Amino acid sequence: MRLTALLSMAARVVIPKDYRFGTNRPWTPAAKRLNPPGKKRRKVFVEPIAPEDWSVLRGDTVEILKGKDKGKHGKVIQVFRHRNWVMLEGLNTHYRYIGKTGDYRGTYIASEAPILLHDVALIDPSDRKPTDVEWKFTEEGERVRVSLRTGRIIPKPIVERRDGIVPQQWKDGPKDTSPEDTLEKTYLPSLKTLEEEVMEKLGIQEKRRPRRSYWY
Amino acid sequence: MAASSSVGRVLTLCKQFQNVIRISSSINTQHCSTTLIKYQPLLYREKSPLAALSGYSPVSSVGQCRALHTTINRRGLEEFFDLPENWGETNVKSGAPWTAKQLRTKSNEDLHKLWYVLLKEKNLLLTLEQEARRQRVQMPSPERSKKVERSMIRLETVVKERETALRLLQTGQEKARPGAWRRNIFGYVYWYRFKEYAIPWHMNRRYKRKRFFTPKFVQPHIRLRIEQHLREKARKATLDKKTQSILKEKFPHVKVSAS
Repeated sequence: MRLTALLSMAARVVIPKDYRFGTNRPWTPAAKRLNPPGKKRRKVFVEPIAPEDWSVLRGDTVEILKGKDKGKHGKVIQVFRHRNWVMLEGLNTHYRYIGKTGDYRGTYIASEAPILLHDVALIDPSDRKPTDVEWKFTEEGERVRVSLRTGRIIPKPIVERRDGIVPQQWKDGPKDTSPEDTLEKTYLPSLKTLEEEVMEKLGIQEKRRPRRSYWY
Repeated sequence: MAASSSVGRVLTLCKQFQNVIRISSSINTQHCSTTLIKYQPLLYREKSPLAALSGYSPVSSVGQCRALHTTINRRGLEEFFDLPENWGETNVKSGAPWTAKQLRTKSNEDLHKLWYVLLKEKNLLLTLEQEARRQRVQMPSPERSKKVERSMIRLETVVKERETALRLLQTGQEKARPGAWRRNIFGYVYWYRFKEYAIPWHMNRRYKRKRFFTPKFVQPHIRLRIEQHLREKARKATLDKKTQSILKEKFPHVKVSAS
């Protein structure tokens, strides 16, 4: 087998069919500790929701309908599609010690637990109450979420990029191509391959004939 | 808005190259007067190996100082390292990678030049990574390597697309590399990709030892394999049906459970 294929096989994480997904990503050491290769756990049945019907996005403000923090509003930090979970910021927390070493008991922190999608509802921005949401198309053809009770459009939340870049405030560096140069069209379709065209431009003349070879 | 501000990662091709050359030439004209007299033999010696490199730069069209290479750097080793103001920083900002859509609008010559620019940037980042490993320090902004890698992959895809289109027009062949459907000794039919040899197949002893047919004693095993496969399919079907029934029971309001 090719070396690159072998290396990529070693790097890629194989997830078995009956893998129980948790809050940790499968390639992290915590997930590997909780789900070692030989383990078999009882299967969790997840309500199948089609990808186009998923209405809660990262950065949305939602209200919890059931549980300890019932009635509270929270921002969605993480969404787990494989378990229909939603992680809210600072809500539905339990407390634990972290960084325990030897005698030191560690820091006491609040860690959030994931909530099922069924137990949260999007908040209507006009009256700040939980509503059911449907995906509909606007006059322009844009697909938006519309609250069923009031009919108001719930806008998509603005999420900050992980690298902290704000596209509107970006300034080109010395190695970056300016937008005009990037979008400039220089392609002229022709019946020449790239090699032939480049050889023409550079004035390379290949007079050698290739040796006779056999393909089988 | 986002599209216009999403910028390419790499040095521009025609316009900025010319700017660099103009700048470099103008700087060199200042140096020329002082250094030419002293370093003339060096310049002449350097010209020959770098003339090939400068082959596809528009130096001849700009032609200010005598035929110098495109970069101001003396030996060219500086191209393996970042700009001096980025030395020692932990975060170097970089733009977005080239998308296939943007690359499809570029001519073949531009793509050819861009490939080498990306290659040099990749070498720069690899040296940086290796040096960071040696110094046991984190590499600043490792996402740059991924961006360059993705740009190069997309460039290759675009070039392959153009080649395939031309090949289809001229010969009607979809694949660049010849091959054939062949049966191996285990009874599997697969796409065998041809290799290039210097000698014809009837003179190639190793090739003649390969058997592209199934011997008779393998037939019973093929039947057993088919039976295994059918049993597995049936098992999977029953498991699917079972899960669907359990899902229907647990979530009765879901109309059509997407399997």
